[in-house]
Formats: sequence, C-alpha cells, structure tokens
Amino acid sequence: MHRYSGGGIIRETAIETCKLTKTFVVSRGITDLIRRRPSAGGITPVDGVDLLIRKGEVFGILGPNGAGKTTLIKILCTLILPTGGEARVNGFDVEKESGRVRESIGLVTTDERSFYWRLTGRQNLEFFASLHNFFSDDARYMVDELLGIVDLKYAADERFLNYSAGMKQKMAIARGLLNDPAVLFMDEPTRSLDPGAAQGLRDFIKKEIVEERGKTIFISTHNLAEAEELCDQVAIFDDGKIKVIGTPADLKASLGDGSKLSDVFLHHTGKRFEERGGAGVTAPGFRRDRRGLGRGGGFGRRRGGV
Amino acid sequence: MIAIYRKALSFVRRSYVLQMSYKFEFFLRLFFMFFNILTYYFVAKLIGTAGMKYLEPYGGDYFSFVLIGIAFSGYLMVSLRGFSESVRDEQMMGTLEAMLVTPTDASAIITLSTLWSFIFASFRVLLGVSLAGANVLAALIILVLTIVCFSSIGILSASFIMIFKRGDPINMLFMSTSELFGGVFFPISVLPAWLQTVSHLLPMTYSLNGMRHALLQGYTLRELTPEIGTLVLFSAILVPLSLLAFRYAVRKAKMEGTLVHY
Repeated sequence: MHRYSGGGIIRETAIETCKLTKTFVVSRGITDLIRRRPSAGGITPVDGVDLLIRKGEVFGILGPNGAGKTTLIKILCTLILPTGGEARVNGFDVEKESGRVRESIGLVTTDERSFYWRLTGRQNLEFFASLHNFFSDDARYMVDELLGIVDLKYAADERFLNYSAGMKQKMAIARGLLNDPAVLFMDEPTRSLDPGAAQGLRDFIKKEIVEERGKTIFISTHNLAEAEELCDQVAIFDDGKIKVIGTPADLKASLGDGSKLSDVFLHHTGKRFEERGGAGVTAPGFRRDRRGLGRGGGFGRRRGGV
Repeated sequence: MIAIYRKALSFVRRSYVLQMSYKFEFFLRLFFMFFNILTYYFVAKLIGTAGMKYLEPYGGDYFSFVLIGIAFSGYLMVSLRGFSESVRDEQMMGTLEAMLVTPTDASAIITLSTLWSFIFASFRVLLGVSLAGANVLAALIILVLTIVCFSSIGILSASFIMIFKRGDPINMLFMSTSELFGGVFFPISVLPAWLQTVSHLLPMTYSLNGMRHALLQGYTLRELTPEIGTLVLFSAILVPLSLLAFRYAVRKAKMEGTLVHY
C-alpha cells in the first residue's frame, strides 16, 4: 500500500535525515588517555544516511544483524548523539531539541528487561506514564485504555514476570503509545516471538496502530515477509548505508518478474539475506496468551524473574 | 513544580512496591537497623558520663549523639552510593533507556530514583531520638540542606559511574573521610587541632553539628546561622557543579553509545 504517492498529495515530513553519520571511537584505556595516545580507530554503523519519511507512513529498515539499524533508531530517539549530519523528527532537531523530540515519539524495543518484572503490568505503565507527565486519574484512564487496546486488561494486575513473550511485547507497544506519539519507533518488534505470535503482532500493528490511529511507524526488521506485509516503503540497509529505498512492490519489480525481496537484498548488497524466524504463518498469535492464563494461571512460556 | 512532586511520589511508590515484593529482605533490613541501634545503646551505657567533657555542647547523651551521627552517615552513604547504584541498577535492569526516551530529564530520573533510600535512612532518627525540646523547623531546614549537599556529591559520583562504569574516586574520598573527620561517632573536638582543619572542609561536619544542636538542644535558627550558612554555601557550589558534571557525563555516554553499558 503506497498511501502518499497517489494524487500528488505531499504530506508533512515526520522524519528527515541528511548525511546522518555516527562513528564510535574504539575506546581507549585510562593509561592511553593519560599518555594522550591517539584513538585506535572507529566503526561507523550509520554512514551518511539520507531519509525522508512522511507522516502516516510505515517505513521499514531491513538489514542483517550489525547493519546499524538499532544505532540509527537510537539516534532518532535521542539516545545516541550523531557525529555528523542532521536529523529531524516531527520537525525537531534530535540534538538541539531533544526534549521536544522525546515528547513526540514512542519507542518499542524487544528488550523485555526494560520493565520492572516485580511490578504488575498496570503499575509499570502508570510509572512510565508519570515520566510522560500523566498522573493520577489521567494516567489511570490512559493506562486502562491502552491495556484494552493491546488486549491485556485481563492480566493487568499480574506481575510482569508472569507474562509470556507475546504479552511482554504488547506491553512494550502499550508503553510506546503512552504519550500518544506522532511517530512510533519499533526495533525488531517480533524478534523474540514465535511465528504465530509474530503474525498476531503484525496484524495488531496494521489494524490498531496504522489503520485506526494513523501513526507514522519506523520499524527495523530482520524479516523479509514482515517488511513486505507492513511497510509502505522499505530501505535496504547494510554496513551503515542505505542501499536502496522504495515500495516493496517497486523494489521487486525493478529486478523483473518473480523477484523476491531477498533477491533485491542480494542485488544491492552482494550478500545473501539470512532471516531470523519465520513469517507469514497464520496462527492465533496473542489470543493464545489469554487462553493460557484462563487455564490455571499459566502464561505459556514463563521466564525467571529479575 | 507540581509535576516534579507528583513524579517524586511515583518514584517512591515504585520503589516501595519493588521493596515490598522482597518482604523478607525488607524486614531483615529493619531488624538489623534496630540491632545496630541497640549496639550503640549499650556502647552509650558503657561510656556513661566519661565523655561528658566533649559531649556537653550536645546535651551530654552519647546515645542520641551517635544516633544522629549514624543516621547522617546513612544519608551520606545513600547519596554517594544511591545515585551511582541507581544508575547502575537501571542499566542492569534495562529500564534506563526506557526512562531516558521520555521527556523527563536524566538528572531528575537519577535524583528521584534515590528518594526511597533517603526515606528508609530516616527511620533511624525517628526510631531513637526524642523530639521533645527540639527545634523541628531548624532540623528540617538542616536536613533539606544536608540532602541537597550530599545529593550533589552523589550526582558527581554518578557522573563518574556513567563514564568509567566502575571506580569512583568521589565515593571513596567522601566515604572514607566523612566518618572519621565529620564527627559521626565522636565530636570533632576529640581530634587534634590540625586534623580538625580537615573536618571543616566537609559538609558532614556542619550537618551533624547543626542537627545535633537543633534536635538535642533546641537551638534557634539565629544560633544555627553558621552551620546553615555554610551548608547554603556548599550547596551553591556543589549543585551547579554536579549538574554540569552529570550533563557532561550523559552527553559523553550518548556520544560513545555507552548509556546502557555497565
């Protein structure tokens, strides 16, 4: 679905980067610092990236592990400072107006440790809501609504440590939506999910976040089918560089009939794309979690607490 | 201002719930706090009036004297370790990044994360010191100034942790000197005159002196002007210094991409 290109409508820009670069200097020991030895060199996970993402667009960045996807997202979320170039999110400069950027974005990570495992789902969300300046009744109302949206009301007062991987990921999405952000960043949101749960999450993102709420989504993925299914535009990203950008259909068409996105990747990077996990398997997905809870308190896959 | 107050409540509530999810540890800590106080009760009984010469300016009772000393030593420990530990804990739990992507400022996050530890450290004073005849208002003013001073030192310490991850000279310097020279267990008048010079460079000395005079002898605000004035001076230097250092540390960590490394 290419929603902005038809009819000559030019939407406002949600994310814009110009020659965005990040080089990490290889760290030196304290003795090197004292002796003022020059740095041992550096690595550049983001190298002169130019992007223009319009409001309401689902933009996917597709690349292998270590390509620099997470670094790029962290720069756009103001968690890492760039060493060169510029980036604006919702019109705000990520370096000079980082506070305004953070007010207008949400971040969904796969790191399930980013919650307090011994607090309940509701307590976690209410705490993070306070960091977004929502308190008391406002926070309670919003958290309740979000728990409804991600279909976790039934487990809201259970401790987070009892949640399954799928439920934890839904909590991460709920947290990302706490401030009703214009742009939602999602860093490999289906990474730790089985194919069924991953499909459930993709359906949820498409229906609830994109179609219902019209959010701009910047999603990094390691999954070709996911990129194809969710994204209006896809960027092939490797070695810190954008190799090509286009709609999945256009990218495939550019290589001729019958081409797949993996062929596009191979063509532009010279590397064979190795996917993690399957996709496209239609399965009950998240709903299974609810049934699991109903059967004597089990959540499917439990993990240890923190 | 109201937002910060409500955020503070939110942090205290979070820490309380987390603490109470480890009930055994909580009650164990309370028990050993009581146990510790009991030890000093018997030490005070042993000392009796032997130290009267030195304790007279503080009312003559060693138990009340030392109880305030160890409570403030606790505040200092919370400040020095609490800030850097809260940075480290949030890094290890993985929650730091999730918090830093919100509009709440990094220094507010770190400061508010330690509130619960300060509340817990206050239990010691409430458990053992009689407030009859105390100048509570003066004591509260000194308490606030003490927390501001100690917190600034703690934020300086956290800045080191943010950059070097381990090995924090501020913590080592203040922890080792404050108990000996700050008058935690004995009045500084016991020390030789040349060592008392070191005592006068530490905020702990003025905090303890002021608090003991306010709580044990009911000194007026006018009588406490030297201690309050010195603490205000320490705060005026330490607060901006620590905030600048922390801002620099966060920027450096963001530059190096090591915000969540530990």
